[in-house]
Amino acid sequence: MKALILVGGFGTRLRPLTLSVPKPLVEFANKPMILHQIEALKAVGVTEVVLAINYQPEVMLNFLKEFETKLGITITCSQETEPLGTAGPLALARDKLIDKSGEPFFVLNSDVISEYPFKEMIEFHKAYGGEASIMVTKVDEPSKYGVVVMEESTGQVDKFVEKPKLFVGNKINAGIYLLNPSVLDRIELRPTSIEKEVFPKIAAEKKLYAMVLPGFWMDIGQPRDYVTGLRLYLDSLRKKASTKLAAGSHIVGNVLVHETAKIGEGCLIGPDVAIGPGCVVESGVRLSRCTVMRGVRIKKHACISSSIVGWHSTIGQWARVENMTILGEDVHVCDEIYSNGGVVLPHKEIKSSILKPEIVM
Amino acid sequence: MGSSDEKVVAVIMVGGPTKGTRFRPLSLNVAKPLFPLAGQPMIHHPISACKRIPNLAQIYLVGFYEEREFALYVSSISTELRVPVRYLREDKPHGSAGGLYNFRDLIMEDNPSHIFLLNCDVCCSFPLPEMLEAHKSYGGMGTILVIKVSAESANQFGELVADPVTNELLHYTEKPETFVSDRINCGVYVFTPDIFDAIRGVSSQRKDRANLRRLSSFEALQSATRNPPSDFVRLDQDILTPFAGKKQLYTYETMDFWEQIKTPGMSLKCSALYLAQFRFTSPNLLASGDGTKSATIIGDVYIHPSAKVHPSAKIGPNVSISANARIGAGVRLISCIILDGVEIMENAVVFHAIVGWKSSIGKWSRVQAEGDYNAKLGITILGEAVAVEDEVVVTNSIVLPNKTLNVSVQDEILL
Repeated sequence: MKALILVGGFGTRLRPLTLSVPKPLVEFANKPMILHQIEALKAVGVTEVVLAINYQPEVMLNFLKEFETKLGITITCSQETEPLGTAGPLALARDKLIDKSGEPFFVLNSDVISEYPFKEMIEFHKAYGGEASIMVTKVDEPSKYGVVVMEESTGQVDKFVEKPKLFVGNKINAGIYLLNPSVLDRIELRPTSIEKEVFPKIAAEKKLYAMVLPGFWMDIGQPRDYVTGLRLYLDSLRKKASTKLAAGSHIVGNVLVHETAKIGEGCLIGPDVAIGPGCVVESGVRLSRCTVMRGVRIKKHACISSSIVGWHSTIGQWARVENMTILGEDVHVCDEIYSNGGVVLPHKEIKSSILKPEIVM
Repeated sequence: MGSSDEKVVAVIMVGGPTKGTRFRPLSLNVAKPLFPLAGQPMIHHPISACKRIPNLAQIYLVGFYEEREFALYVSSISTELRVPVRYLREDKPHGSAGGLYNFRDLIMEDNPSHIFLLNCDVCCSFPLPEMLEAHKSYGGMGTILVIKVSAESANQFGELVADPVTNELLHYTEKPETFVSDRINCGVYVFTPDIFDAIRGVSSQRKDRANLRRLSSFEALQSATRNPPSDFVRLDQDILTPFAGKKQLYTYETMDFWEQIKTPGMSLKCSALYLAQFRFTSPNLLASGDGTKSATIIGDVYIHPSAKVHPSAKIGPNVSISANARIGAGVRLISCIILDGVEIMENAVVFHAIVGWKSSIGKWSRVQAEGDYNAKLGITILGEAVAVEDEVVVTNSIVLPNKTLNVSVQDEILL
């Protein structure tokens, strides 16, 4: 089986992290975002994954070589020379997605994190016999997204409504599709939207079915949702593989600590924290609802909450970092500094406190 | 004295990528020394000034950037000016004087009688031949270019006191807290080769001091963080300050303009200063037009020969348009830098802004700012490949590369 992951563009919403690394390679819960998806695809028997990209192909290709061998799955890139939207990339990768088997192929949006119930989706697609099956997920505020209006009893999709002003339904497009090869015949090689142009036609022919996604769902393409997404992911990990989570008197709630990270005495870590490889957390540190990327050093008595600390940064003694502070790569927060929502670009030193949310270039 | 065998070598310090984050977001796409001011890369201005020095044998650019960032520029400028220009990469920080010392063998290869040291991010008229003459008449080890500034702003720089008759440097202090003097160091120097002995003296003094102490392990830890390595020598604190008042260093005052180009806002100001200078030194570089066959030009404007400007557009004052830009009908540009490949559609207005490479500005849209060169959001900066859609207004904002603006924004930084 094959799969296409729509990686797309510049990841500007996840800056400053994406100023250092292309978005699919930004780690989430200590693993590159795209690796979560590739591993789940491999687990259901996908043998080839195509990444539809239009940015920094060299960096992506290096990463791919490493993981192709490790995972035993073929990973190729399909590079857009102009942005092709959400459907165009499928046309571009057509030859890679169709083979003689006639099997359906997966299409995933790279920003989406969930439990990836691909096995259930394959069964759903077979059972309902549609031309295309999509995952939908229930959200509290549907108007922020594209709502899928569907017949609850039959699973048939009626139509798509983008950011509806009035309530039309609470299921939104989760960005996970399983498509028959015939869908490719409906897509021209030009900038095309799958929700606006392709799916509505299939829905009109009553051949589009929606499966409600079991488990959590999050679009982690921007920092606030990334932090929320980590909580959902770790909750799910607690249920499925709680041995992976950290335990101890200094741990509260769900915490992921890489085996090469060191944690000092008298710390209180959690809930909802991920600490990356090679990190050093000195004594007396409080961490909650945050991600600490590879190689970060957090000095004594510091306190970090609801924030993301970028690779190889340092947090000074008694520093307090909170309220969606996002530190890029190699940012050094001096001792005793307070950051309230500072968004700091790479290679900076923060010598004076940031009292209200601001961008530091 | 004064024979035609006296060769001169110029060294221009260009800095490096992780230093000076103040030039973001433009420095995300281009090395600061290569950013264009008045249509020419920043570094081009001191380099062309060096060309006026008699018997110039070589120009060295010294910095921390990768060699490949400067390879193309260096080879084309060497051919164009017919003087060898070479980029030298420092392997580690040596300080502003240590960097010069690090490459002394190369610098002394031509056996120069005098060595100029300039900082790339200084914007001034570079009166180098006059400075050299003055230096020769003083007979010291070095001469510093100085300028008078307002008393309030002086403490951002190195303040110095000079003897009004002999022009000898009597006192020098870097960024003092209290007022010392309104004469400041412009970052342009000329030295005789004795400067290398002076720098060597400083580093061996430091080495001796380090060796003399018998340190406890605690002291060793402390001194490692406080004392820089012995080969790290700063020009200001380690050479100018101690040698002031010893009849070794002198000053030459410039009455022309002087600015430091630290931020994108300042680059717009300095582009204006250089455009104004072109009016006197090379008026053929400036554009002209009255709206009949070509666009109406007001004040000092530079337009690259490959740029296309509609005759109904009105351009200037202080506008610089780079290669392959396309300026549509009815466009008004005031005080801005339009970089390579930008497309500005009909009737748009750009006022106090820098528009990044390959960006596009929609019809009737307005990219503007208040024009305070020193304020963080005083000049609107659009990074590479930013698209401003029709009728959108962007005010006092900074937009990072690859963004599309479909609603108006004001006083914002858009990552």
